[in-house]
Amino acid sequence: MQSVNRHKKLWLLSGVGMALTAALPGQDTDLYEREVRPLIEANCLGCHNQKIRMSGLSLATRSDAIAGGKRGVVITPGKPGESRILQVLRHDDPVKMPPGRALPAADIAKVERWISQGAPWPDQPVRAAPKPNHWSFKPPRRPSLPAVENATWVQSPIDRFILARLEKEKVAPSEEAPKTTLIRRAYLDLTGLPPSPAEVRAFLADDKPGAWERVVDRLLESPHYGERWGRRWLDYARYADSDAGSRDEPRQIWRYRDWVINALNSDMPFDRFVLEQLAGDLLPNPTNDQLIATGFHRNSMIQIEAGTDREQYRVEAVFDRVDTTGTVFLGLSVGCARCHDHKFDPISHREYYQLFAFFNTADEWGNDRPRYDARIHNLHQVHAPLLELAPPAEIKRRDGLVERYYKLGEEIDRIKEENNGKKDDPRIKEIEEEIKKLIKQIPRFESSMIMREWEPRRETNIFLGGDFLSKGDRVDPGTPSFLNPFPAGAGATRLDLARWIVDPANPLLARVTVNRIWQDYFGRGLVETENDFGTQGSPPTHPELLDWLAVELVESGWSQKAIHRLIATSAAYRQSSKVRDDLKESDPGNYLLARQSRLRLDAEIVRDAALTASGLLTARIGGPSVYPPQPDAAMQASQVKKSWKASTGPDRYRRGMYTFFWRVTPNPALVVFDAPNTMTTCTRRTRSNTPLQALALLNEVAFHEFAQGFAARLLAETPEGGEQRIRRAFELSVSREPNAPETARLRELLAAEIDALRTHPEEATKLNGPAPPHGVDAVDLAAWTTLSRVLFNTDEFITRE
Amino acid sequence: MTLEDRFSLAETRRHFFHKCGLGLGRVALGSLLARSLPAASSNPMAPRKPHFEPKAKSVIYLFMAGGPSHLDMFVHKPVLDKLSGQKPPDSFMKGKRFAFMERMARQKMLGSPWKYAQHGQSGAWISELLPHIAANADDIAIINTMRAVNFNHAPAKIFSHTGSVIAGRPSMGAWITYGLGSESENLPGFVTLQSGPRGPRNGPLIWGSGFLPSAYQGVPFLPGAEPVFNLASQPGVTPARQDRARNAIRDLNEMRFAATGDDEIATRIASYETAFRMQTSGPELMNLAGESKDTLEMYGAEPGKNSFANNCLLARRLIERGVRCVQVYHTDWDHHTNLKTSLPQRCGEVDRPSAALVRDLKQRGLLNQTLVIWGGEFGRTPISDGDAGAAIGRNHHIDAYSTWLAGGGIKGGQVIGETDDIGFSPVQDVVEVHDLHATMLHLLGLNHTKLTYRFQGRDFRLTDVHGKVVRQLLA
Repeated sequence: MQSVNRHKKLWLLSGVGMALTAALPGQDTDLYEREVRPLIEANCLGCHNQKIRMSGLSLATRSDAIAGGKRGVVITPGKPGESRILQVLRHDDPVKMPPGRALPAADIAKVERWISQGAPWPDQPVRAAPKPNHWSFKPPRRPSLPAVENATWVQSPIDRFILARLEKEKVAPSEEAPKTTLIRRAYLDLTGLPPSPAEVRAFLADDKPGAWERVVDRLLESPHYGERWGRRWLDYARYADSDAGSRDEPRQIWRYRDWVINALNSDMPFDRFVLEQLAGDLLPNPTNDQLIATGFHRNSMIQIEAGTDREQYRVEAVFDRVDTTGTVFLGLSVGCARCHDHKFDPISHREYYQLFAFFNTADEWGNDRPRYDARIHNLHQVHAPLLELAPPAEIKRRDGLVERYYKLGEEIDRIKEENNGKKDDPRIKEIEEEIKKLIKQIPRFESSMIMREWEPRRETNIFLGGDFLSKGDRVDPGTPSFLNPFPAGAGATRLDLARWIVDPANPLLARVTVNRIWQDYFGRGLVETENDFGTQGSPPTHPELLDWLAVELVESGWSQKAIHRLIATSAAYRQSSKVRDDLKESDPGNYLLARQSRLRLDAEIVRDAALTASGLLTARIGGPSVYPPQPDAAMQASQVKKSWKASTGPDRYRRGMYTFFWRVTPNPALVVFDAPNTMTTCTRRTRSNTPLQALALLNEVAFHEFAQGFAARLLAETPEGGEQRIRRAFELSVSREPNAPETARLRELLAAEIDALRTHPEEATKLNGPAPPHGVDAVDLAAWTTLSRVLFNTDEFITRE
Repeated sequence: MTLEDRFSLAETRRHFFHKCGLGLGRVALGSLLARSLPAASSNPMAPRKPHFEPKAKSVIYLFMAGGPSHLDMFVHKPVLDKLSGQKPPDSFMKGKRFAFMERMARQKMLGSPWKYAQHGQSGAWISELLPHIAANADDIAIINTMRAVNFNHAPAKIFSHTGSVIAGRPSMGAWITYGLGSESENLPGFVTLQSGPRGPRNGPLIWGSGFLPSAYQGVPFLPGAEPVFNLASQPGVTPARQDRARNAIRDLNEMRFAATGDDEIATRIASYETAFRMQTSGPELMNLAGESKDTLEMYGAEPGKNSFANNCLLARRLIERGVRCVQVYHTDWDHHTNLKTSLPQRCGEVDRPSAALVRDLKQRGLLNQTLVIWGGEFGRTPISDGDAGAAIGRNHHIDAYSTWLAGGGIKGGQVIGETDDIGFSPVQDVVEVHDLHATMLHLLGLNHTKLTYRFQGRDFRLTDVHGKVVRQLLA
């Protein structure tokens, strides 16, 4: 996976044009114009231009080129034998350019000929930045729906785009997936929970037209839709319940998580959804909800270490906010411009810091008020502004107590100073006693971390090379000039930035958003590089479809549910995911979408599926994060030992998204199935397939409990046992009936288990844990627990097909 | 994962099946594979070819967390000894920043209380605290001019592992397994071991995979028979029962594979086979009872104990089994005070096992393919810290500290780098952390500028935009 190929791409950029104004007299610049300049533009100028000057060398003008770089002169006009550039181009030199593969010999011969002619080159180039012509920088327009031959296949406007392309390539779409597969797919995709057998049966029985659309509509109205898609948004928001850093302090920000769920469930217009998260605090008279929404950018890590430079970490958090904003709302890698102009996209170093300026004015509690830190740390463990959910009078009373607390601390310092640093003074003892009592009186309120501006506004300077200690020019807030105009002036705020981002004139927001939704329905976005819509990103496989959906999102009043509905009701989405031999050669990556894909469930949903099947799920939405059982050793690795007291009662069986997420020691079952690490924004999860996943499903205490619960449920619900019960087990776990070989295989397992357990009933006792309920045979329960474990460990169980 | 990644992964997978005959080939998958050869794989640990012929196949990094005092182990400074107790000359202090600045203003020069002697053909100076390592002097290359960029433990540790002071980048072990995969079928490719009173600061962040897929993060092995989470079966799940479950899972997965044709299922079947083998190989690995008495004695290892000695021996056992990268942490080197009592204790704990590891690898013919690195996140000041007398210690120091390397492609029997008379600043041959990383990757056959991963639009490297291979280290 080393990106050897990528380097080729890296050097194949142009984007820097040179208009020539005058030729040197007596020189034939034709060879240069026709042959050499295009080579330099295509292969060299990306790095060897006047701004970047990789290795000190610029090839932007003749004088630059002749001057050479850090490694000396590379071109000696008239003397190809002394011009090192030729060796470099031939890869006969320790330096090999372009990296990767050498240019064709014919091209190098042109350069040689040109040098031997004295390297004629008009030396007054005008470096005109071209108007970026990249597809994603132009506003999307709604294309007309393409004509298709097989119009009966079409279920949603989307299908015309997919089918037109397939017909062009002479590939037939796949048949519709079996109804049992379809309904499990829709439930998992839209709500993150598998359907109940009754829901499956109802769908199978519904042969009236519109049955599928009715399922989709019902699921879009389910409160679990907000959980499923909210969790995805939380990936982008790098949501976690702790700070990171060596102390990894816990934080209270779950109300932001719940705000996301609620906003999605109510289908809050997406532009509003974005605006409130970026700048809810700057709206006139913000509501508590609007303040909580700003938790989006409070999710940055806080890495406060003894003796470190706080400013560095404050700046890092601001970097994170700029980069996350670029990735999530613009699909641009703006972070590349942190140290220098973006090499590929038209974002300058200065513009990066203009974006930085919007976030640089935020209040960072710990950073701005060092006086408070060490002591308030012990009191509140708070390093960020909070929305405290308590009556103002109560807050005022608490502030008085805290003020008293500080005064006492200062008093101790004063006495110590009097005594030359010695602590053994009876007055100190007395004060410490009072502090102890005082701390007990200080009330702690429910709260949520929020964004807030800091007065006076911090000025922003460019950091040269991205180094916060090397300050360059001062800059005002602003946005990259190649995108839609930014009307607000020098005093612009985050709210102005948010308004600019959600302006329908912004060519990126809607495209990036619909693309990510698409990605979760098909396993890949229409633009594969979902976080890079810039010139280095991959082009869309279906550009017109992408634009059509983007326009649709805006014109539907920014309704995300409308987009979900369009996709989920399409024939493209409903196709079978079966691998087709005829596509293995022509489209092994399934870019044409002639079939669906099997996708392993997200980490949280692996848990949710087992909870649902076993009937143990506590379906409550929202609230403080919870602590399901996990391996004892999971918290061992942290520097500051944290306890993990497993929740009992209903909270033990909450959905995976509510598990308390310690950034340093996250729940192993989440990590092993590729939950994001929350250090930076994650817009696409990896789907690995590892032995540690097998061990988690086979042996983890939580999954063992689910298997026990599943067995108990099966025994209770199918007293007739035998094949009926196997059938029920399949319906509950994978939403379909078993076929004959599957049933036979499980019967065989069951028989062997019962045999073994009858011989060793003590094993049944161990397997069952607590004594089985009255009337339940321990051996039966234990045997079905094994069968349950087997089903939970099948690939199908943790896959949406 | 980008398109290129996917293509190269598919390529790797083909290589994995066709050329290597590894992995699934040995698993009971014959019939499946005959039907359909997986074209792409999500097995992130499939072995991959390096960029060029490697010198080393695996790495063992013995990490002394807290900042070991190089001035009392590897750097002999008679002038410093002479100046001991005097105020430090202004020329050394001007413009320098330290951790705990305010304290430093009161401090004095501190010579080493321990005797030094020259060892081996190379005549390397090593103090009496490390007699076993000294006996290996001709196998190791000592760098006395390592330089770090941040003088606080947490960022310095993150830096020494990821090349950045900010948490969230992949650790070197993650980069290595991302680049090379692993040759172990039964164990994770990147393993960490720990001894000492507490875990190293920042714990999992320093062996994390950052933006690389999480499969590349280090797997901490815990002491005892269950080194990995969930390795032991739940109560009542006997080996026979687990075996019955395993067969049923495999059979159901095979049926589904036949129905869907999805290669992921083939990979999952292989993952389960590996997992089941791990349930046996894990405890077998951890059980040192099978080691000879001589070997145990050489390391000072005692079966059943959690010690650095046991972990060094485990490190050898891990790389013998194909594990690519092992990080062995020993903590509690942060001697601001009590240097005179604490440092000999730490040295006593690590000297014999560290040397034994090199010797043992050599005896087994493994040293030439295993890179061993020994060092911490920074060193300590030639100026004292703490109160005078027994409690005296040294502060953090990043301008020059020591690290040694041995094995896989390293030219042993040499000392690299010189510092000034009191061991404060380097005089020549500075080796940055990025240079150490570049050299380590080079020995593994990886070009540090080409081992990249695209994240947020940028091709990231372990060495960021820095790093050069330290040619002097190479054999």
